[in-house]
Amino acid sequence: MRVKHLLALFGACALLAAGCGSDDGGGGGGGGGASGDTGQTKGAKAVDPAAADSAKGEATYCTGKDTSGDLIQGVKDFNKANPGIKIKLLEFPESADEQRNQFIQRQRAKSSDCDGFESDVVWTAEFASQKWLQDMTSFVEKRKSEFVPSTLSSVTYENKIWGVPRVSDAGLLYYRTDEVDQVPATWQEVYAKAKEGKGIVYQGASYEGLTVNFLELAFAAGGSILSEDGKKATIDSPENLKALQFMVDGIKDGAAPKAVTTYMEEEARRTFESGKATFERQWPYAYALGNAKGSGVKGKFAVAPYPPFEGGGKAAILGGHNMVMSTYSKNPGAMLKFIDYMTSPEVMKSNAVKYSKTPVLTETYADPDVKKALPFADQLKQAVEQAKSRPVSPVYSQISQAIYKNVNAALSGATDPQSALKKAQSDIDKALATF
Amino acid sequence: MEAASVRAGTPARRRSRGIPERRLAALMVSPSLILIAIVAAYPIAYAVWLSLHEYSVRVAGLSRWAGLRNYTTALQSSEFWDAVKTTFIFTGASVFLETVIGLAMALAMHSAFKGQGLLRTVVLVPWAVLTVVTAIMWQTIFEPTLGFVNSLAGAVGLPNDTVWLGESPEALIVMIIADVWKTAPFMALLLLAGLQVIPHEIYEAGKVDGATAWQRFTRITLPLLKPALLVALIFRTLDALRIFDLPFVLTKGAHGTTTLSLISYETFQTNRILGLGSALAILTFLIVMIVSFIYIRFVGGNIRGMAGDE
Repeated sequence: MRVKHLLALFGACALLAAGCGSDDGGGGGGGGGASGDTGQTKGAKAVDPAAADSAKGEATYCTGKDTSGDLIQGVKDFNKANPGIKIKLLEFPESADEQRNQFIQRQRAKSSDCDGFESDVVWTAEFASQKWLQDMTSFVEKRKSEFVPSTLSSVTYENKIWGVPRVSDAGLLYYRTDEVDQVPATWQEVYAKAKEGKGIVYQGASYEGLTVNFLELAFAAGGSILSEDGKKATIDSPENLKALQFMVDGIKDGAAPKAVTTYMEEEARRTFESGKATFERQWPYAYALGNAKGSGVKGKFAVAPYPPFEGGGKAAILGGHNMVMSTYSKNPGAMLKFIDYMTSPEVMKSNAVKYSKTPVLTETYADPDVKKALPFADQLKQAVEQAKSRPVSPVYSQISQAIYKNVNAALSGATDPQSALKKAQSDIDKALATF
Repeated sequence: MEAASVRAGTPARRRSRGIPERRLAALMVSPSLILIAIVAAYPIAYAVWLSLHEYSVRVAGLSRWAGLRNYTTALQSSEFWDAVKTTFIFTGASVFLETVIGLAMALAMHSAFKGQGLLRTVVLVPWAVLTVVTAIMWQTIFEPTLGFVNSLAGAVGLPNDTVWLGESPEALIVMIIADVWKTAPFMALLLLAGLQVIPHEIYEAGKVDGATAWQRFTRITLPLLKPALLVALIFRTLDALRIFDLPFVLTKGAHGTTTLSLISYETFQTNRILGLGSALAILTFLIVMIVSFIYIRFVGGNIRGMAGDE
């Protein structure tokens, strides 16, 4: 009796499974023509810049939680100035991973929930190769000269432009002006001074932030992660080994505390603000907080773009967000008009002044009001200009894991730098071979 | 004998109402069967289906049949076996400690004294705290420079520079401590229920026969508590095998704390490798199934055997 019931149950499951199977088969057939390593974005929908002129109706812009409030204000001002258009803001959770999940789920379902999306700079290749984004080349081309060139590299994939940079970000070297007379000339000097003083803190936990921290030094030392054509890992190189050995030695000889292997942005910031470190590698957001009431280093620190790595050059890693448009948008004209507004020089300026957002337009940095609001505007501009993109690949999340997991293992002493890079090399090659 | 008489009487009556008893029974359970099929059987079957395919992460909508390739990939990867090892060490250590501590707590709560109600409430507080909050709390306690543990160690002259969540096996130990703190009260609650059904007379009879407190514990309490203990063990073991939230918050899987659930999540959700991610989830499911089968086979027999003894 029981056996019969079980069989009936499995029979039902098999039927259900077969049902969804045929769906998948259909979906698979649709994209079959686009296989091969290049031209995955061939045939992507392109925006029509003229559509913005006659735009009206509703459109939704999806973003991670707007903690600073600049987007909420932007939407309000835009709707007031354009009575025929109503832009709505759909806020996702604050964590970057969760924003990406939320957007991916909607795009997979071909949902028109998001006409536009506030995309992290590292997601462009993945989203574009899945044909989730509209090709915005024709729109951006007209305004190309206004942008800091490095910010445009983060929206470029397969020679097309997939979004408009809105906010940039680049790490800075924070240092105590009461402990260090002048900015050290090289990273090696930074670490030497850190060893004499109270050390340097950075983001060394096993997460995306460590990928950025490692790449800053690796790129400065002359290293690379992927070959020119993006098909092979090149992380196991003498230059990268120099950078990783430098970080590991820094922890071993006390230039950086052992605890950095568990630090993310906030832990590093708290340590620096409590006066327990002489140097800190940090994003610009910590500048205002460090000078706020309650900070132990108020008025006692300054920032600088990164110094060069001895025997190498200067490098920083680009962060920030781009405004992208969904393939499944039902009102691309209105969204395009909104994007044009949010990335205009006027909004860029007021966002820099009111919300300390790092501008992507060259002219904004020169504005006297901006210089007053962001006293480190010149250093910030240099940092953004010298910033490089993280590896551009549809399998970026796996590449980043290969970097931060193995670098973290080396920093905590679980493995030596040479074998960590060897493992990262094979992990990245495996990631690149993902179907 | 009774059944025969009932059977003789009922068919006529049932038939006159139209629906045979068997079919009526089937009809009545069918809503719940359909519900189970939708919420349990379908997702499992779908996950199996996904695990037999490969879905391209680089080309939109491209997929292909993979057979068992995802499973062989998973079984050949050192990451999978590391996760199995970590998960089992975590499960073994935390369930053992929870059982011992939970039993002690249950015995304390069971003995009659003033303030017993208050004690029961207080003991249960950790269980009511969300796991994510628990994880953040222990993360703070074990923070290397400002945390309570290192400050205390420094105050009494012990080495205070341990980076608890940045080293192996320290990170796993913190994870086990956090889990024990949170779930020992749950264990205690289940065991307390078991203690309360043991008749008082047996203890009195034992006392009359001159049994010491220790003898009463080992000869009366433990054997009679066994059914409750085993149910609690099954609950906790299966729960611990699926642990996700603690390592996710504490370390994101670094320093030897990557569990089975964590690598399935990372593969499926973060890296969007749907086939391999599903295969990892199915393997986790099978491991949990095998463990529960072993429990029910050996332990379930015991429960039935004991019920027969009485």
